[in-house]
Amino acid sequence: MNRRIGLIAEREWKAAFDSAIAPVTLIVSVLFVGTAFMNGFFLDGRAEMTSFFQAMPLFFAVLVPALTMRLFAEEKKTRTIELLFSLPITTRDAVLGKFLASLGLLVVFLLGTLPIPILLGWLGTPDWGPIVSGYLGLLLLGAEFCALGLLFSALARDQIVAFVGAAVAGAMLVLLGDARVKSVLDGLVDDPFWAPGTWLERLLSPLPHTDAFVRGDLALGSLLHFGLFAAFFLWAASSALAAERT
Amino acid sequence: MIELFDVTKAYGDQVAVRNVSLRVDKGEVVGFLGPNGAGKSTLLKMLSTWHAPTSGRIQVAGFDTQTKALQVRQHIGYLAEHNALWETMRVAAFLDFVGRIHGLDKARLAERRQWVVERCELSAVLSKRIAECSKGFRQRIGVAAALIHDPDVLILDEPTHGLDPLQVVAFRDFIREIAAKKAVLFSSHILSEVAAISDRILVMHHGELVLDGATRELNAQAHAKGQDLEALVLERVRLHQRTEVAR
Repeated sequence: MNRRIGLIAEREWKAAFDSAIAPVTLIVSVLFVGTAFMNGFFLDGRAEMTSFFQAMPLFFAVLVPALTMRLFAEEKKTRTIELLFSLPITTRDAVLGKFLASLGLLVVFLLGTLPIPILLGWLGTPDWGPIVSGYLGLLLLGAEFCALGLLFSALARDQIVAFVGAAVAGAMLVLLGDARVKSVLDGLVDDPFWAPGTWLERLLSPLPHTDAFVRGDLALGSLLHFGLFAAFFLWAASSALAAERT
Repeated sequence: MIELFDVTKAYGDQVAVRNVSLRVDKGEVVGFLGPNGAGKSTLLKMLSTWHAPTSGRIQVAGFDTQTKALQVRQHIGYLAEHNALWETMRVAAFLDFVGRIHGLDKARLAERRQWVVERCELSAVLSKRIAECSKGFRQRIGVAAALIHDPDVLILDEPTHGLDPLQVVAFRDFIREIAAKKAVLFSSHILSEVAAISDRILVMHHGELVLDGATRELNAQAHAKGQDLEALVLERVRLHQRTEVAR
């Protein structure tokens, strides 16, 4: 990582805590998730986190855009983007720096949920493998959604537009992996080979990959999915910003 | 230090800058004058690498603004038209960030920060957030950030906007003092201000450069015609307007 990416990430990280949006979002999210999951845990009486990990993708589709929406949209609205790009940084430096800062905020959220597995370990004897791989899956999904959120923030001039766009796109990607949505889409054509729901799930949805991580299955295909999608969204964000300046 | 070769910038059908060629050398202070919409800010934005010319070529400090944008930005200090700053940052942190991103090491950053804080009289607001500073202070913070890495080329868009009369006088003296080792190009609406600071005056009108001359020579020309400098500038602008109508 070059020095300039680190400096931008550091500035963004501090800026996130200068406004109330990121801290309030993180605190409310941690409290909400902790409460919702612990209720389920006490009702089920099982020392495992599958329901937590399965609920997170859709939750991330809303949480992550709240963390990324201001990153470029706010710079454009307040015109500080001109100041940013008068400095000796490339568009890629700016995009990667902001991406790392938003991913850092997501890591704070994930750390905030650690009391859940700690409590499970205290009350029972959970299988730690799927819990660790489940967290890794969430981190990778978070990276994909941070990149997606950054893309919408680079495209929009208003952070609310960036939030709504990224949340809808993220939710659609997740729902394409839902069995009911897949079944409805598959029913649109007769030939099972061309079943659109199956193809869309395989090609676009992160859900089968996060599910694989929840089962403790760290497949190369899943790592590639998250890496390629995040890289594509970051490249698209960088291209959108570069196109705006010509 | 700054060279423009037949530069045109168009936004769709709207031509903001048309066929401008000029050169600013080290040690020169050049004032850019023109009404709103004349194309001054567009031209300065192209120098800062923010916008690309539609045609023509720009070199700053020997580097092409399109192919070597990063090197250009290393060598320029730029104050943008609206001087938008990161409001929630504290002034000291902002100056440090700009200095560090320009690659200043710790000792050089401390030295340069002390210099800009003293020269821009910012010590009273160093620990404040930028949002808490007055317009005059914010303008000086923008100038301090443009100077912190001791650039070879200074590009200032309306630098005296928001300054009180005493601060304007201090700013003129400051620019004259630092100009010996730099190329300075600044824009303004106010002719007296441009005439007081600049070695050379450029006047833009409807995207075209209608006047480019040494301040002393322009004053002499105006005097020979029994005019003041303002009348001479207006004459050139009106002549350009008539030419445009004829075209």
